[in-house]
Amino acid sequence: MIVLEDLHKAFLVKDKRTRARRRIEAVRGISLRVAPGEIYGLLGPNGAGKSTTLRMIAGLMRPDRGRILVGGLDTVRHPEQARAQVGYLATDLGVYGRFTPRELLRLFGEFQGLEPRTAERRAMHLLERLGLGGFQDIRMEGFSGGQKQKVSIARALLHDPKVVIFDEPTTGLDVFTARAVLDLLRAMRDEGRSVVVSTHIMPTVEAVCDRVGILFDGVLHGDAPPREILAGRGVASLDEVFFQLAAEAQGDRP
Amino acid sequence: MKAALLVLKKEFLELSKDRRTLFFTFGMPLILYPLIFAMMGRLGSHDAALRAGKASRVCLVDPSGVLAPALRDDPRQFRLVPPPPGDLRQAIRDQKLELEVEVEPDGAARLARQETLQVKAQFDESDDSSRLALDRLRGVVRQLQTRWVQERLHRLGAPPQLAEPVRLETVQAGDLGLTAGKMIGSFLPYLLMIMMYAGAMQHGIYATAGEKERGTLLSLLATRLPRTQIILGKLLYIFAIGILSALVNLASMGLSVARLLASAAGPEAPAHAQAAATGLAALATPGVLGFTFLLMVPLGLFFANFILLAGIQARTTLEASTALTPGIFVVVFLGVFSMAPGIEKMGWLPYVPVLNVSLAIRKLFSQQANMGQYWVALAMTLGLAALMTWVSTRMLNRESALFRL
Repeated sequence: MIVLEDLHKAFLVKDKRTRARRRIEAVRGISLRVAPGEIYGLLGPNGAGKSTTLRMIAGLMRPDRGRILVGGLDTVRHPEQARAQVGYLATDLGVYGRFTPRELLRLFGEFQGLEPRTAERRAMHLLERLGLGGFQDIRMEGFSGGQKQKVSIARALLHDPKVVIFDEPTTGLDVFTARAVLDLLRAMRDEGRSVVVSTHIMPTVEAVCDRVGILFDGVLHGDAPPREILAGRGVASLDEVFFQLAAEAQGDRP
Repeated sequence: MKAALLVLKKEFLELSKDRRTLFFTFGMPLILYPLIFAMMGRLGSHDAALRAGKASRVCLVDPSGVLAPALRDDPRQFRLVPPPPGDLRQAIRDQKLELEVEVEPDGAARLARQETLQVKAQFDESDDSSRLALDRLRGVVRQLQTRWVQERLHRLGAPPQLAEPVRLETVQAGDLGLTAGKMIGSFLPYLLMIMMYAGAMQHGIYATAGEKERGTLLSLLATRLPRTQIILGKLLYIFAIGILSALVNLASMGLSVARLLASAAGPEAPAHAQAAATGLAALATPGVLGFTFLLMVPLGLFFANFILLAGIQARTTLEASTALTPGIFVVVFLGVFSMAPGIEKMGWLPYVPVLNVSLAIRKLFSQQANMGQYWVALAMTLGLAALMTWVSTRMLNRESALFRL
């Protein structure tokens, strides 16, 4: 279970021209719940606050205000225990290229407190499941984007987390790999995990998400199943919802 | 601490996968220094032998012939040559001759009148051969001077001792080994600092800004490992690389120097080379080496913290490298300062961090160790390293540093 209560996060950025520091409200009062066995889609354009929200859930950033509970644990009070419940996949496809998938996963298994044998067993199982069975002993520096993504997914799921957070998991992937990732998301839902996926690719959302929330300028709109959102707005696609929200946001601005 | 050691293990495992980097970090110094020193030794001895075995070309202007017989009598040292066409000064610069000697035209008459004979020698200070020719001329002039003074005294009926009212006899209290130890002690801290800093810098950048640039830092931070332990693990890695790199470089350099000295101290070598070799071996006792290593630990931690702070604050490896490169000049400055003569007499130096480490090592190698000053240096550097570690873990825990927002 993931619980977000009135979450706020701001950053100070420097204006290159005026040299003045400006406060950017990245996340403004987000509240939501993701139950076990549910896929929640966090949608929004670039810079809407999706990655910041996910980083806060993953315990990588602290909220300025509000509270996050992951598996009942407060991410600020118990950061390490909370992070142990989370499998986080970042947007960047950063993998340690000098390692083979087996070496990397064994090492991260140790980081997550797994016994080496358990880590090895789980690593092999995940690599097989992700179609990387024949690549476990090949250095990753020559891997394609899709292969790196699969290894990163295996790394995120290695410690059998109750909560899975995937930031833009299908961006830049070919259709086959994207489908494999979506299948995996469904499987994780079926295994009873709470899954949060951020994306701006609407077919991804429509294919797998049970509920979606649309982030725009750090504010969460919607928070309902995709069909309800479409019906409520009287539009045929989530893209249309985006454009409506953009127009509303422009109107709200002074 | 277990988590920090896991991160340390990860860093070393990653390094072990890169054979080229491993070779250039630890293998190259083992090949490079012996090669450089062997070449230097061979070139140096070859050049010295060549110069010593070759007569200096001298253009002598001595109409009355007071100096010419002495120079002609020693063809192994001097070869009298006619003045080359054009400017003599330029001819010396162009190494067409080593020396131009000009004796007063009425030199013989002056000597006969018991006056002072003026001899002018033109040479090139920047040329070893020209300096050698001048030394040889000085030797000849000294001999002639002694002979002529004795002749004058004899003519006056005075005893030869008249020209030498006092004779200074010097006795060497130290030994050549001690001299060599002092010399090594003065530049060892410099080498240690440079090698520790430069050795750790690129690895530190790879493990910090490099992780950001490659997008792997987030995956590490997302694990259950406490952030402070991740930072400590990286600090330990940078520190260990710095120390190992310095030790490998020093060991290789030390062995190369020892080999050079040993070859110089062979059966035909002059006695002073043998004395330097044995004296040096006696100086580098396990105690001196142990105390030196003990000082390297906090100094290495201090540098590692500096690299870690700059590395994590930077967005890219280029930014980190640009930020850390000027540090080399600071270290060079500190090193050069520590080599300066007479710094051990500065009363405030034992209380200046980093520099007091130089001073302590210098004194250890010159057998003048002041253990009070040593412990002050160790305690201060330890304190500084601990403070820096605390600052690093505090600062690098901040999101602004990790995500550079």
